[in-house]
Amino acid sequence: MKKSLILLALLAIPVYAYVNDALSFAHEAALPYVKKGFSVREDAWGGDLGVKDQQAVTAQLFKGNEYWFCLGTDVRGAVLTIHIYDSKGKLAEAESWQKGRFAGARVVPAKTGTYYAIITVEKSPEERTGWAVVYAYK
Amino acid sequence: MTKNIPLILALICLARLSPCSGQTAPESIDLSKFPGAEVEDVVVPVPSEIFSVLDKLGSPNWRSELRGSLGKNTGNRAQVALLLGTVIAEGFIAVEAEDSGKVQEIGREVLVLAEAINVRKAVIARSKSITEKADAKEWKAVRKEFDGALHDVRGAMEELGDDELAQLVSIGGWLRGTEVLTSIVSKNYTPDGAELLYQPQLIDYFNRKLDSLKNTRLGKDDLVVKIRKTLAAIRPLIGKDDGTKIPPDAVQRINKMTSETVAAITSRKES
Repeated sequence: MKKSLILLALLAIPVYAYVNDALSFAHEAALPYVKKGFSVREDAWGGDLGVKDQQAVTAQLFKGNEYWFCLGTDVRGAVLTIHIYDSKGKLAEAESWQKGRFAGARVVPAKTGTYYAIITVEKSPEERTGWAVVYAYK
Repeated sequence: MTKNIPLILALICLARLSPCSGQTAPESIDLSKFPGAEVEDVVVPVPSEIFSVLDKLGSPNWRSELRGSLGKNTGNRAQVALLLGTVIAEGFIAVEAEDSGKVQEIGREVLVLAEAINVRKAVIARSKSITEKADAKEWKAVRKEFDGALHDVRGAMEELGDDELAQLVSIGGWLRGTEVLTSIVSKNYTPDGAELLYQPQLIDYFNRKLDSLKNTRLGKDDLVVKIRKTLAAIRPLIGKDDGTKIPPDAVQRINKMTSETVAAITSRKES
């Protein structure tokens, strides 16, 4: 995923622009949590999806930490959501929100293990909608 | 009770609604419907995430975990990449030990090793920042710089088309991190501490990456072969299901295996 982000960035300026924009919005979504002592990872994951399409980002999370997954999109009017599931596919998040170009989900892992951040494009005025995710932990 | 059902339903709905979109999250999903690569390619945690948990578990003697020597650069690119990973991991231990001299030494060594694999430019600023922040004893900031150094090195290597070597940097860091983690957990065993080792999908991911190396020379490298064997031996020791208790003897065995592998990386004879 990260590789694809770099490849997208190298391919063409417009693509680079929208991935970069989505990433800026993802970082903006994470900003309130930085103020609460969360550290944002420098890595980011992103791409583009059609309406109702979903993408999974798989992460190893540790019991004892608290995480915020923050999503941003470059498309005005698009509604994207992010939710966190455990290795059995059960909803594992403590809370989630969606507002405008941004969305977020908080997870306090009950167990150390593999978790899945599921990104969904609920609606969008564009055929393809750029998105980016960052996560923060403390 | 019947009168309250609509109210209860409304409250349940409210709890699950996103504040502005009205989108609900299903209580469960079928992960098999996602493409294999999506669910199998795991985001490798940065060392800070593990150290963040260790901070909450107590105050181990970090200074005793530091290695005297950071290891020898043999000029073999696979060894240098693995060594770089172990040295960056060492940086986190030095931060925990609040040893500014060691942190500065590690910051300089990161630069030397990065130069050996043509990514020096990517870490010059980080190295300088590590030195300055260690001098000022800004430990949280130093930790962030080491995370950033790992990210920058891997990013620069991927841009150069050295993706497979970049993976070795991550694996080197993971091995040294796991060696220290198991050492600390062994000295003061708790099930919560041992649970940090439960990383099955991450180990599978590393194994898949090493099994599918396109660079055949890299795939046949002695160290790479040794690491594959180590990962395969560790995998059954950490259990199959989330929450499986990892017993003290398993923690000790993982410590022995990772120690031997890290020793092989750091003391490899020149090829």
